[in-house]
Amino acid sequence: MVTFKLNNNPVQVDVDAGTPLLWVLRDSLKKFGTKYGCGRALCGACTVHLDGAPVRACVVPIEAVADRKVTTIEGLGEGGQHPLQAAWIAADVPQCGYCQSGQIMSAAALLASNPDPRDPEIDVAMRGNICRCGTYDRIRRAIKDAGQRMRAGRSGQATAADPRKSRA
Amino acid sequence: MTLNRRQFLRSSGAVALTVAIAAPWRAGNASTSATANAYLRFDASNRITAILPTSEMGQGTHTGQLMILGEELGVEPSSIAVELPIRPSEPYRLFFGQMRSVGSYGIRAWHDPLRKAAAQARSVLLLAASDRWNVPLQELDAVDGHVVHASTNRRLAFGELVEAALALPLPADPPLRPASERRVTGRALRRVDTPAKVDGTAVFGTDVDVPEMLHGAVRMNPVFGGAVSRYDVDSVADLPGVEQVVPVPNGVVVVADTWWRAKQAADALDIEFGETPNDALDSTRLSDAMREGFDGEVPAVIRRGDAESGLQDASRKIEATYEVPFLTHICMEPIVCTAHTRKDHVELWMPTQGQDIIRMTVERVLGFGNEQMTLHTTYLGGGFGRKTHGEIAEQAMLASRAVGRPVKVMWSREDDIQQGYYRPIMMARLRASLNQQGRITAMHAQLSGPQMGQTFEHITVQNNNDMFSVASLIDQPYTENFALDHRHLDVPMPLSPWRAVSSSQNGYFLEAFLDELAHAANQDPVAFRRAHYANHPRHLAVLNRVAEMARWDRPAPAGRYRGVAVVASYGSVVAQVVTLRMVADQPTVEQVHVAIDCGRAINPDSVEAQMRGSVIEGLAVALRHEVPIADGRAQRSNFHDYAPLRIDELPEIEVGIVDTGAPLGGVGEPGIPPVAPALVNAIFQATGERIRRLPLSRARG
Repeated sequence: MVTFKLNNNPVQVDVDAGTPLLWVLRDSLKKFGTKYGCGRALCGACTVHLDGAPVRACVVPIEAVADRKVTTIEGLGEGGQHPLQAAWIAADVPQCGYCQSGQIMSAAALLASNPDPRDPEIDVAMRGNICRCGTYDRIRRAIKDAGQRMRAGRSGQATAADPRKSRA
Repeated sequence: MTLNRRQFLRSSGAVALTVAIAAPWRAGNASTSATANAYLRFDASNRITAILPTSEMGQGTHTGQLMILGEELGVEPSSIAVELPIRPSEPYRLFFGQMRSVGSYGIRAWHDPLRKAAAQARSVLLLAASDRWNVPLQELDAVDGHVVHASTNRRLAFGELVEAALALPLPADPPLRPASERRVTGRALRRVDTPAKVDGTAVFGTDVDVPEMLHGAVRMNPVFGGAVSRYDVDSVADLPGVEQVVPVPNGVVVVADTWWRAKQAADALDIEFGETPNDALDSTRLSDAMREGFDGEVPAVIRRGDAESGLQDASRKIEATYEVPFLTHICMEPIVCTAHTRKDHVELWMPTQGQDIIRMTVERVLGFGNEQMTLHTTYLGGGFGRKTHGEIAEQAMLASRAVGRPVKVMWSREDDIQQGYYRPIMMARLRASLNQQGRITAMHAQLSGPQMGQTFEHITVQNNNDMFSVASLIDQPYTENFALDHRHLDVPMPLSPWRAVSSSQNGYFLEAFLDELAHAANQDPVAFRRAHYANHPRHLAVLNRVAEMARWDRPAPAGRYRGVAVVASYGSVVAQVVTLRMVADQPTVEQVHVAIDCGRAINPDSVEAQMRGSVIEGLAVALRHEVPIADGRAQRSNFHDYAPLRIDELPEIEVGIVDTGAPLGGVGEPGIPPVAPALVNAIFQATGERIRRLPLSRARG
């Protein structure tokens, strides 16, 4: 039995020791926003935060999570309203979308420590996340936009209108 | 709208509901929900649902299709809900009589049918309002989900008119909005699927979760064409959560209560595969076999003009041989399907590009007809041609039948790469002659390698012409004297369309060769192409645009080298200029300029996104992607040895959209073919090397 905090709620799971966090999230806790891509920490699709730091959930055994805080894409912003999510919509980043939860979680960890990153800093923080559709330039743009929204502290205003109705 | 009611009724004739189909979603309460035709459903609460014929795998076609529907109907595209039909049927079939999301067809082939479907619905809505208000039809318009009578300032929401409107016969040939009324298509619109893809709620095939569901992981013969000779169920029977080991063609599915447990058990399973005829297969021998394929007379595909005497008489002849490797698709979402097989019905949830392929698989494996299948198409985490196949559905159906519960079977990344359906290997020998003015007078292209069409039952290779092998070569724009041959080579591994299919290799063969010809003619590669595009205005337009974007008329900056390529595919023409520098003898791509003529760009933002993504994929492929075969097995396994471009390798990419008034062209694939030749042509400028074999990592070491 392992206890930890998932998106600020305490959870308890009874799984085999050594089960990667990814499969606890997906198969036991039905949090499907975190994706499997490679199983070997090569692609970043399963990126979540462990006590605020980005980790690849596919290689983190569940014992390592005991009594710690896990944040997934579902818990990043209330109702999907994190400035990064608003910026992602504004830049219309995703294509297939499968890698984007992981991209956003890596980006959130970056902005938490560096709210005004430049391209080389973005590249260092994001190079563990593969986007096979090639949305990288829009990812860079959205990260800078989100940083600006966070610094300006007006993310609520920026996302008040339904962004789907505004033209790019 | 200029048609009055009398003309309208005449034009509609006696044809009633010709497009409407007996679709299962009509089983709902007809008083609250009504089907206008196969693609649109209305309900009294003003909700409009589109039943779209293609899968969304990242290309943005759902948004583009909603723009087409919304514009014609007079509603905000993003207000229309999206469904896919739960089994293939005639209205959704456009590819060789099949429902498939392939061939960059999503917009170019579906524009007219969807526009007409929306025009039909608008016509009867206007007619119903015309009756209700007793005003002439031509005074009405449909705007923002309402029928509007401007002179009396009256409005009625579609929902209030739906019952009366859908009781009217649908016109077979409804009036279409003129171009002057376009306010939606042609302008960038944000994609409707983005919000669900940034908060984790989008449901991909991997995210299907149905009651009582179990999970399956696979163990398959690593040698292509091999089977299972023996396995020991007892070796995993005591592992936690394991339910059953189910035999499937060339392997087993291990079923357990979670995927992780199923995977652990599949890896632990004591299994033997035995010998196969392909145990010694390897890439070197396949290359030798392709090269030997040029010996003797190579079977002809087409002859145009007189290539042979042109080549014999010419003063200058150039010849070069090129080769490309097997490629795999590495969709970020792995291969997955959830099935619930019952006695006389099967329900499937999966990310598929090939709904009719799944129907055929169901029929073959279970003996069930189309009506005994319910197929829920999820979002696809990438498709690229890989998700047209039925093997994963077969595995899931068999596993579910064996355990009597729904089973989600998912492949690992290693399974995905090593059990792929590959873009075929191919070798091309090109010969051409130049006259004194440096014009190409004749060309003879010979292909040696698999004819993928021979592996598809429903699409035959006719007169040695395989549409999956010759695109972007058979229609080369450079000379009237052209001959094309193809020697088929049988290979035991499954083959598949891969983004841009044969244009992906033929664009490289042809445009790398063109650069060699330009050099032999002592001409600038852009000027050389221009001189040959007199009868190809679209080629010329994109070449001129890309040359302008890349400032080709000025010398490249010091230490920078440029290459150009122009390839027509899928109804579009794309020109690219790659600018690179050499760092420690390796190319670093700094800039890629792209110009595309895809006809009218329905959603320019999606066109731009597809061009950028194509450049990024095309570079990874040209630089380092290949699946070598040794001992009958694929020699790649995961993203460390089959590595997509990462964000720190991203070049600056600029995209220009050119509209020459051509019909709608495809967008998902045409950006791929020019990348590799533009890259190798730039490397020639930098180093004087001709890269005649991809990927670069193999050609240059």
